[in-house]
Amino acid sequence: MKPVDLARKLRREAALDPAALDRGKAVLMATIRQEVERTRRPVIVPQLPYEDIRAALSFLERAFGFREIPTSRFVSADGELLHATVEFGNSLIGVGGQGHHGAISPMSGGVESQFISVQVDDVDAHYQHAVAAGARIADELRDHSWGERTYWALDLEGHRWRFGQPIR
Amino acid sequence: MSAPSDAEVIGRSLGDPEAFGLIYDRHAATLLRFLGRRAGAKVAEGLVGELFRIAFERRKTFDVSRASALPWLYGIGSNLLLKHRRGEARRLRANARMAADEAADRRTSAAVLDARVLFSRVADAIASLPDDEREALLLFVWEELPYQSMAEALELPIGTVRSRLNRARAHLCELLDAKGKDKVRSR
Repeated sequence: MKPVDLARKLRREAALDPAALDRGKAVLMATIRQEVERTRRPVIVPQLPYEDIRAALSFLERAFGFREIPTSRFVSADGELLHATVEFGNSLIGVGGQGHHGAISPMSGGVESQFISVQVDDVDAHYQHAVAAGARIADELRDHSWGERTYWALDLEGHRWRFGQPIR
Repeated sequence: MSAPSDAEVIGRSLGDPEAFGLIYDRHAATLLRFLGRRAGAKVAEGLVGELFRIAFERRKTFDVSRASALPWLYGIGSNLLLKHRRGEARRLRANARMAADEAADRRTSAAVLDARVLFSRVADAIASLPDDEREALLLFVWEELPYQSMAEALELPIGTVRSRLNRARAHLCELLDAKGKDKVRSR
């Protein structure tokens, strides 16, 4: 017998656990999801100061449909909520107390120095939702010549928000 | 509609990473058996996980002119095995004992003994081949990969694969001859 044929005869199957394939698949999919999570996250995260963080979180969720990331809460030793992060689509916004980091709420400062622009899937439904939750409308829902439909709103501390959707 | 090729699936996974799960579904069993034969069941499970993690991370570098991803995956597996050579010689010897018992089944005890000596020499010879030759030899005789697939797995031109296999064959003959002579001389 030729050496190669002898070598061929040494081939033996290992006793594999049938569940090993399923476990491997679970590990791979977890790795993939982690990667997706990492690459999907934005690299710029606006941080908004509020006098009342809890009220702000509740309003942002009810009026604008933002979702608080449950694991993001940062609470001081005496139970004061210092910071939380909300998500919307693939984006994040930090919600924190004012005074920290030198930023203040428009409610105390009396002026908004910037606004946040958000692209939504259905701006009409979003508008209805915001009005029902008590958002102050700063500019009514309307079409613009550049092909976008928008409205502007102020949240409960006066931060300015713009919601828009391309006109199809 | 026919099923998408591996190349198409990997292409899609660049924008939709979870699509890569289909590559696992198609090839993981083959690779788990390959790694099991070479490194044992226990190590193989860990290696197949590492193999697919590496493949996923390197999916951008997959050559989409190749329809099947299997040779590429074999190549990643072969590289991983280089780091897990511990126990390989022992495993080959165990395989040799089983092969000898099969070959000499229902024959004289002398035949069993001869077969044992012969196959254990083959096992030792394979274990002592240079890494690149052993890998080429085992992809050829155990995995039965065609030359083109071996070339893709080892990232070599087909001519180099042929010459490496020839070197492995020649080496194997030499090792078997030398061992045989040692045996005669020591008697």
